[in-house]
Amino acid sequence: MKVLILKDIYVIWRQMKYFLVMILIFSALPSGFNNTFAVVYAAMLPYTALAYDERSKWDQMAAMMPYSARDIVLGKYVFGWLCIGAAAVLSLLFQAVLALLGSRAFSPAMMAMAALGGLCILAISLPVMFRFGVEKGRMAMFLVIFLVCGTAGAIASIAVSGNAAKFAFQGSALVILLIAAMVLTAISIPLSQRFYWQRMG
Amino acid sequence: MNAIELSHICKDFGSFAIQDLTLAVPSGTICGLVGENGAGKSTTIRLLCGALRPDSGTASALGVDVSSPEFLAAKEDIGVVLDEAYFPESLNAVQVGKIMAATYRRWDQALYERYLKRFDLPVGKQFKDYSRGMRMKLAIAVALSHQPKLLVLDEATAGLDPIVRDEILDIFNDFTREEDHSILISSHILSDLEKLCDYIAFLHQGRLLFCEEKDRLLEEYGIFSDTAAQLECLLPEAIVAREPNGYGGVRALVKRELAPVGWQLERASVEDIILFLVKGAKNA
Repeated sequence: MKVLILKDIYVIWRQMKYFLVMILIFSALPSGFNNTFAVVYAAMLPYTALAYDERSKWDQMAAMMPYSARDIVLGKYVFGWLCIGAAAVLSLLFQAVLALLGSRAFSPAMMAMAALGGLCILAISLPVMFRFGVEKGRMAMFLVIFLVCGTAGAIASIAVSGNAAKFAFQGSALVILLIAAMVLTAISIPLSQRFYWQRMG
Repeated sequence: MNAIELSHICKDFGSFAIQDLTLAVPSGTICGLVGENGAGKSTTIRLLCGALRPDSGTASALGVDVSSPEFLAAKEDIGVVLDEAYFPESLNAVQVGKIMAATYRRWDQALYERYLKRFDLPVGKQFKDYSRGMRMKLAIAVALSHQPKLLVLDEATAGLDPIVRDEILDIFNDFTREEDHSILISSHILSDLEKLCDYIAFLHQGRLLFCEEKDRLLEEYGIFSDTAAQLECLLPEAIVAREPNGYGGVRALVKRELAPVGWQLERASVEDIILFLVKGAKNA
């Protein structure tokens, strides 16, 4: 599986540079939605890698090489988790620097919510991609991202407002998102494996 | 032992189906898979490599059932070159080498680098900027560099110029000098198969019409070229198929054993035999 993650990193290396700049720009913008979007956007990188796989027909080649279906499917999840984690850490560090400079509030909880939202997006949309392919699955992905980003952004806006009751709400939202991410991922992985097998005939 | 065994394989796609395909390729031999576009050659190769599950029947490669969990390890011994080299376009040859080194336990980096040099492949150039010939050469270099025992080649020489193609056919020939090394190769370039193969398997509309030793096939058939009246002297079952010869006469593929002794028949090439058999099947 490690080798498939290495392959994905090579494949989207160029996009990753632009992506890094995008994280920094979105993190600097004074809006809960923008800060959330920077991290949630990282959940889209596995689809870019999948799209490259489909375009070059690597998926057909990989099916004939010593990779198991489990490795191929799980590799995309792990790659997504790594992207989301790296984006959250980078965004958090950048926001911490901005907070130290006194230009804005610093909210690690908001980043945690964004990361968990990203995990939910990944868990919902990867089975769709494995079932229908990136081209057909793209619309479903954008719908899910919009819904998760909007919800997480709204929650984040409440969280940074400073009201004690709202902080309690933020805590509950984090727990709910954490449970949702875990449950969705536990359902999503076997489903993706099944869809992958169906698609391979 | 057989390197490849397909037994009563059926796979229905609706508009096309592989029907009751049974094929065995002995270890240490080269088998050429021929047939028109859409005859089922690539599907057969996908079934053999476990990339496609049959509706019924069994397939094994190097003695391992392709539907068993053990086949994953057996894939280490199978080098595959498909009709296109399906590596991600943004990779270069160095990155492909690193990925394959982490994929195959017996990856031979020095051998890979020797092939890159031998094939004149630019190592830093992205795969998308390679010509078709360069892409196929990279795929062949990869397939040969993990020390496989079985090479499965689907139109692997298509798009290569005759000089490189000849060089690659020599490499494939060298590969089978090891007695446990085997090749299944599909190609539309029948002269390549005639030069390379020990066996010829002919697929037509999803059915295997025959799998025979090449030398036996060449002995079995001859080409008749003369007047139509003279051809009519032959038993109808001796004539496989016929066509106008362009000089007012006819040209026909004839079964030697059914032709009268003393009849002058030209030597048929594999290409002649296949083309006439396809025509015969279409006219039947």
